[in-house]
This record gives sequence, structure tokens and C-alpha cells, in this order.
Amino acid sequence: MVEILIDEDACVGCGSCVDDCPNDVYKMNEEKWKTEVVNADDCMACLSCHEICPAQAMTHKDIHVAKRLYIDRRVNHVLERMI
Amino acid sequence: MDMREITDNIGTFKPELVPKETGGDIDDYEDALHVLMKFMGSMSSALEQVSGRGANAIVYQAGKRMGHDAAKMMEKTDDLEKALFEMGEVLGHEFYYVKWKPSEQDSYVIQKDNEVTVKLLFMDCVVRQTLRRTGLPQKGPLCYLLYGYMVGAVEEIMDVKGKLDIDHVGPNACLKTLTIKWGGK
Repeated sequence: MVEILIDEDACVGCGSCVDDCPNDVYKMNEEKWKTEVVNADDCMACLSCHEICPAQAMTHKDIHVAKRLYIDRRVNHVLERMI
Repeated sequence: MDMREITDNIGTFKPELVPKETGGDIDDYEDALHVLMKFMGSMSSALEQVSGRGANAIVYQAGKRMGHDAAKMMEKTDDLEKALFEMGEVLGHEFYYVKWKPSEQDSYVIQKDNEVTVKLLFMDCVVRQTLRRTGLPQKGPLCYLLYGYMVGAVEEIMDVKGKLDIDHVGPNACLKTLTIKWGGK
């Protein structure tokens, strides 16, 4: 089962993940005005929520991470040296 | 200005029936892959610009032909589970997929009238990687390559009419619904 962690300090309560998730995994907690996970069983780890979250407030555990052969490793090495 | 000289691959070349060495290393493979990804992305966007929605049909047809060719040697079956396994072999590790269902649904396969549907979650996909490499949106013409490939393979293996609908696309996985129609060919 997928475990999804929300960093409540980082979450800005924009609700983008709630709107974007096709399987209604998230719901807006209207008291805290933060996203909460209500249906992790239906998460298919597409990670659309990661892409849309402006605060990078999510972590998905125990998922299949797709290969990322599109990454240019040499560019990454240069970036690593700069950061 | 002089042409760039490459001196690290000076050697002897002899004709051989089965080449034993490919030449190059992982960096060369990476370069080649990225160049091909850029070519593919560029072709896809140009095709869309010139042909509009017709681009999808062209790429779909190319994928379908590939699917038929790739599945020709596979064992024919009318068992969907077996066909999905066979298609996994055809598509290989670069198109790794699993069956998927919402938690409240009992079975992966849904039979309705003469149609059978199953949801497939594509986790690894070269098409998605190509689109990300070239900054193109998903669900464009290039996604129709996989659509055609899958349909071609299922038609070849099961001898039925098939279609693959894109339900959702994401950066890590895409959900698609495979529908096969009995007696529809």
C-alpha cells in the first residue's frame, strides 16, 4: 500500500492536488485549510500531485518510481557542483 | 576551422557475421538515446503542426503496425489474462505495466455485453520520457504510438478488435483502459 505524507508546514492549502487527483485520494481539511489524505488505497502513484504542488509538500513511500532516462546526467553533475 | 577529431576509437575493422563489440560505453548510449528522443519529439510536434489532429491517426497507424509485427510470433489466445502477459513480453521493460482497479471494485476485468475492459497502469514508458525530454505535453500524437502498439498487439494475439483509452496521465504513471470487443473483427 502507498503511504503518502503531507508536510503541513509546507502545504499552502491551494487545493491543486485535490482538484488534480483522478481518484479522490486527497480532501481539503476546511478547519486547518490543509490537504489531507483520505483514500490512499486508490493512489496509483502517477505523481500528478507532486507535479502540481507549488510547495513540494508531498512524499510518496513504497511506490514504483519510473525510470527517468530523460535526465541528462552531465547537466545534473554540473548543477550538483553549482548548488 | 578544422573538423573535430575523434582519436579514442582507432582500431582495426574486420567483417564478421555476429558483431561482438558495439563500441562506445554508457555515455555514448545516453547520447544516442537523447538525440533520438529529441528527434522523436521534434517529429511529433512538427507532425502535429502540419497535420493537426491527423497526426494522431498517422502515429496510431505506425504503432499499430509495430504491434502487429511484434506480436506475430506470440502464442495466440482468447484468454485476456494470458494475452496481457504476452503483451508485457512484446512491450518489454521499457513499457512496464500492471493491471489496476479502484479499491471498491472487486475484479480487474469487467465484462459488459460483448465487451471486456481492464484498466492498465503504465509505469515505465519511453514515450513519456521522450515527451519530458523534449518538453512536450502528454496525451499528444506520440502517446498514440503506444495506443496503436497495444491495440496492434492485442489484435494479433487475441484476434479481436481492441482500443485503449487514456484515463489519466502523470509524470510517474499513466492509467489507460483497454477494451476488447468479442466478434468485432
